[in-house]
Amino acid sequence: MSEILGKTEEIVKKAVGLGADEVIAKTTFGKYRQVRFSGNQVDIIVAWNEYVTDVTLAWKKRVVATEIHDFQGVDASIKQLIGLAKVSGENQAFGGFAKGSFHYPKGQADKRLESLDSPTELVFDAIDAAEKHAGSKVDSGGILLMQSEDVYLVSSDGPSGVDSRSAVELSIRAFSEREASGHGVECSSTLKDFKPERAGAKAGEIARLARNPKVGDEGVYDVVFDPLIFGSILGVWGGMASAFNIMIQLSVFVDKLGKKVGPDMVTLKDNPAPYSMSQRVFDDEGVPTGDNVFIDHGVLKTYLHNTSTAKIFKAKTTGNAGLVAPNPWNIEMEPGKVSKDELFSEVDRGLYLTNTWYTRFQNYAKGDFSTIPRDGIFLIEKGEIKQSLKDLRLSDNVLSMLSNVAGITKERQHVHWWGEADPPSLSPYVLIKDVHMTKSK
Amino acid sequence: MSILPCFHVRLEAIDLKGFIYSRATYGPKVGSIVDEEIANYALEYALSKKPDYAEVRAHNQVQDRIILRNDITETYVSAVDTGFCVRIMASGGIGFASTNRTSKEEARAVVDLAYKYAKSAGRKDKLVFAEEKGVKTKWAAEQKKKIENVAPEERISVFKEVNKALASCGVKVPAVMCQVFIDLITKYFVNSEGSRISSFAPKIGAFIFVTVAEQGKTEQAYEQFGYTGGWEAFDKWKIQERMIHNAKVLRDVITKAKAVKPGDMDLICGPEVTGIAAHESCGHPMEADRILGREMSQAGRSFIYKGGEFWIGTRIGSKAVTVVDDPTIENSYGFYPYDDEGVKARPRFLYKEGVINEFLHNRESAAKLGTRSNGSSRSVNYDREAIVRMANTFVAPGEFKEEELIEDVKQGVYMKSFTEWNIDDKRFNQRYVGKEAYLIKDGELQYPVARPVIETTTLKFWTAVDAVSEKVEFDAATCGKGDPSQGVPVYTGGPCMRLRGVYVK
Repeated sequence: MSEILGKTEEIVKKAVGLGADEVIAKTTFGKYRQVRFSGNQVDIIVAWNEYVTDVTLAWKKRVVATEIHDFQGVDASIKQLIGLAKVSGENQAFGGFAKGSFHYPKGQADKRLESLDSPTELVFDAIDAAEKHAGSKVDSGGILLMQSEDVYLVSSDGPSGVDSRSAVELSIRAFSEREASGHGVECSSTLKDFKPERAGAKAGEIARLARNPKVGDEGVYDVVFDPLIFGSILGVWGGMASAFNIMIQLSVFVDKLGKKVGPDMVTLKDNPAPYSMSQRVFDDEGVPTGDNVFIDHGVLKTYLHNTSTAKIFKAKTTGNAGLVAPNPWNIEMEPGKVSKDELFSEVDRGLYLTNTWYTRFQNYAKGDFSTIPRDGIFLIEKGEIKQSLKDLRLSDNVLSMLSNVAGITKERQHVHWWGEADPPSLSPYVLIKDVHMTKSK
Repeated sequence: MSILPCFHVRLEAIDLKGFIYSRATYGPKVGSIVDEEIANYALEYALSKKPDYAEVRAHNQVQDRIILRNDITETYVSAVDTGFCVRIMASGGIGFASTNRTSKEEARAVVDLAYKYAKSAGRKDKLVFAEEKGVKTKWAAEQKKKIENVAPEERISVFKEVNKALASCGVKVPAVMCQVFIDLITKYFVNSEGSRISSFAPKIGAFIFVTVAEQGKTEQAYEQFGYTGGWEAFDKWKIQERMIHNAKVLRDVITKAKAVKPGDMDLICGPEVTGIAAHESCGHPMEADRILGREMSQAGRSFIYKGGEFWIGTRIGSKAVTVVDDPTIENSYGFYPYDDEGVKARPRFLYKEGVINEFLHNRESAAKLGTRSNGSSRSVNYDREAIVRMANTFVAPGEFKEEELIEDVKQGVYMKSFTEWNIDDKRFNQRYVGKEAYLIKDGELQYPVARPVIETTTLKFWTAVDAVSEKVEFDAATCGKGDPSQGVPVYTGGPCMRLRGVYVK
């Protein structure tokens, strides 16, 4: 057993010794490095280190949590936490933490990310690629994030394990004109095959095509979604599959288990596989993570669970804990059978949207929302991009859009961007019919 | 997915993912003081490298988070997050490094890293900071009822009472979600220019989300509360009243409200709608870092830019419109007397009588635009760089009474509060959807209208304002920006405003 795992186990033993019914301690030693850039130059390089143990315990169905830094003040912290549990409110819905002994595959972190000496080179690879596609006057900004975490988890209910996680993301937005921009991302868990220039090229190409935009018209359109904007949509759909969100009515999927919510071609799963920025071998209860199909050929098959929500719904945990709320780690849409060009050729008159932000709901249970496409917005006629547009808003409904999925490409991209395309996803180009667009008057 | 509504981006402060999906960032109440010695040591070590500038900011944040679902206490998280950051400017570049390990060895390591990163930025345009004199001071926000003296069970019971009140208010409320934030923030700031600032700011916030079901239909709403000070916050908030009011409004939307007939009409905005507009289409586009492009890839840019149609001195609204951002309002959620670069805070008149007047600046943006910082630099914790932020943004009061605004409307809508909203990343095309709203005919409120929408431009919105009422009200909010996202506490607010002849649907 490693020294860190041993110290983590000591915390669990101490809490049990002081009367806790169940305890989970998770120690994370994390190193995070970020380069922020704009105007084609580096604005700041940031590093933050974390040495932290999250401790969650239950005492007579009172669930409390704290954080211990660098194993300092363990005894006092645990004593205070037990004291807090004794005066906290009962959680009648608490169903215990996961029980059992599990075997986990070895975490597949890329250790090179911990000690990358010249991260700015990766940034300039992306900036140069954007320039190549959009011209020398292109103005680019974005971030390069490198993340390495060693995670040690011990539960009084049996699970115990070590995970090693890493992620790298290059996000670049390029402006060819004041109102003509494109956004590209390159996301991975490893530096192997990590090519920032792909993100730069995509941002530059969209920025070039986006020149001379006209204000778009309100109306109902068939829309091709780029993998980046569709990653934002998958984030919303996946979040709504969390059982906790069902319980608090923050989802359109309430009472829809076993029901058809989309066409046969729609299959969605959660899978924090080794390629993903969210790679992990166990969840926050120590349950092995896996491949969970939650929409199977258009049918809502399961919600995403931790042990407590699984008990409430008479289901099994899906390895998505969160100790209070289960959540998706990495959403995958099953690929379709057509190429990107074939998908575009299905559109007689429609739109191609590349990115969005500021998605907000009137009512999560009904699914009414709007979001604001940004970067390239294009009018498609007879399968071809005809005109760059601007100033449109997508104002529609989650269930309508799910039902109106009409095409999915074979090609998929692993995407993540800021808080907008989050969690990460494996996202294709998707055609959705009859999407409502509005604009300012 | 951002589960609960919040300002502009997925905000860690009120995004469920931030603290119940995954790792909490809170710890027990042990050693809850800032380690000034290690901060001073880190600065001294940084200065030995002879940088152009160096600062150390140490935080100790006692953080309690309570999550209640209906009558159930889902969890109580209590912790202390302690650490410090070092920001160094060298060779025209900036490096930043932070840690929550407080040893001299670690201090040297983060200084070395920040210095290395500053040197390796390789900028063509060398960065400088606008000039400031060193400040030596201490400040603390007053608590009339000390939060530290309020037991955890009392903290929980206040919100359980809200749930009880909702359960017995005569409206069917199938789901209530409540998140409580209690932060006792101690900071110590030192820099190479002689600044030494110690501060203490207690902050309390709550976010309550309700679902109402009637006639087989649902409506949803949220309410946010925020205060800098002690437990006396609850005397001012009137949470139960406000939440019951929300429940009844939602019931009326389902059972009584009619759709508005789309067209040009007058619109009265209540203080909540005035406040969100002030925040979104004045405060944000006036952030100088956004104007300069530093946030271009995330929060975006601004419709205001050098060489463009709009700049300081350009008219953006009617003479009735003055929008102020003021961090110095005592007990406000966005209160601070000194910012996170040690610059003294003051009110900023952003739009003055309808004219673009003054941007929000930190020292970096101020230097780029040849001016001085106006104390707008904020950071949520030791592990985030301070960037340009709003504090409390509001429309200044006029001379009318609220009823006078309504009396003079022949046909229109009174939008008292909002639900869905958003704005594009240049801050020009915005949309506000009414939560509580009424039809006005011949100067009289008629009946509730369901989800009226105004979707318009910043220029049209502020130009249409012809009258402003005399009473300013504030709402708490969490403003998101930065990467990684930093949700900072703010107020939005203002009086009622009357907009003439705008398109409402």
